[in-house]
Amino acid sequence: MPLDASSSTATVWAILRKECRSEWRTRYGLNAAVLFAVTALTAVTFAAGRMPDQPGMLAALLWITLLFAALSSMSHAFVREVESRTLLLLRLVASPTEIALGKLLFNLVFLCVVEVITVPLFLVLTGAPPVRWAPFLLILGLGTLSLAASSTLVGAVIAQTRSRGALFAGVSLPLLLPVLASGVAGTRAQWDGMPIDADARLLAAYAVALFGVSLLLYDHLWED
Amino acid sequence: MTETAAVRVGGSKLTHRYGRRATGVHDLDFEFDAPGAVAVTGPNGSGKTTLLRILAGLLRPSAGETNVSVAGRDHAPKQRRAVLGLVTPELEFYEEFTATENLVFAAEARGLASPARAAATALERVGLASRSAERVAGFSSGMKQRLRLAFALLHEPPILLLDEPGSHLDEAGREAVRDVVARFAARGLVLLATNEPEEVQIAARRLELNGHGLGDPS
Repeated sequence: MPLDASSSTATVWAILRKECRSEWRTRYGLNAAVLFAVTALTAVTFAAGRMPDQPGMLAALLWITLLFAALSSMSHAFVREVESRTLLLLRLVASPTEIALGKLLFNLVFLCVVEVITVPLFLVLTGAPPVRWAPFLLILGLGTLSLAASSTLVGAVIAQTRSRGALFAGVSLPLLLPVLASGVAGTRAQWDGMPIDADARLLAAYAVALFGVSLLLYDHLWED
Repeated sequence: MTETAAVRVGGSKLTHRYGRRATGVHDLDFEFDAPGAVAVTGPNGSGKTTLLRILAGLLRPSAGETNVSVAGRDHAPKQRRAVLGLVTPELEFYEEFTATENLVFAAEARGLASPARAAATALERVGLASRSAERVAGFSSGMKQRLRLAFALLHEPPILLLDEPGSHLDEAGREAVRDVVARFAARGLVLLATNEPEEVQIAARRLELNGHGLGDPS
């Protein structure tokens, strides 16, 4: 459906603000995500101790923590609308594409908040060597974009299925493996003093491809 | 609201099936112009709700087509949310938000110029102004029904689709619904799915559905 750009922007912005306000009131996803991240990091550092000389292990731990913190919460963006039967309200005020873009932006904001809490905690608890900030943040940012795009897409697609909880993890994991692999490789490379160009390019291409596919799919969602 | 004479809602050879056997709507032809109210009646499962969902663009019919025209412009199913308001028992609100917050969000998402004023006006119309700052979680089913009506009136659409609007309402609430429908029908078009005699009386025209639908034991 052709969208009027200014009204669509206002609609997406309204949905983003609604999501942020709802999350702030209920702490539906944030509590779960932060709790998971803190528990996982604390348990690993208790068991394995600080590991400043193991950049490969550190990179894997960081991305596994971010990935599962995100997975534990981001499916709720759509599932909650279905379970509380508010999806109809959204469908009556916005197109599926506008709804999904609003949710995507919220998932991005959500992930950024989780990372603002998790990444410093990770660096302190694990005794990670000093990061090269520019490549580290580039890999983190592109990985976050891919994570948010894929979680939004999968969340939208499985929202009205019966076994959505199990489906979300099952469908998301294969989609997220390239993100996980490139994120780990790029994060390790920046600690090893190696170039990160190839991993950054792969993450960027993956994010763009996911976003493009999503835009094509979203308008056909929820057609009864 | 849009000029009355320019509003038209119709359907041609409209059929909708759920699965292989159950038929929601069967081979239905109709056309209605504004102003006025149309009572859509029929036994349980005859397709009243299905018809409203198809007209609202929420459900794609198995066969046939519908048309919604406002001011000479046809609106495809996916564009109809701009020109109609829908009240249905399936519509729920964000319980963590107040009535005003729910409507302001809807007004912002619809791109209305003054969301706060539109929300206040709509709540006033349905008699919920005094409860506007309360969270929806604490609303009774009757208050939620009033809120659904306010939601439908929020953008002052030329077409109202009401699915059992009097359900869950006490006599004062039903009176408020009848009043809103009567005032709206003087300028716009209301399709009212109901079997309540008092609500049917509001409408000067009637569309009787006899399909053997989901609720039909035969």
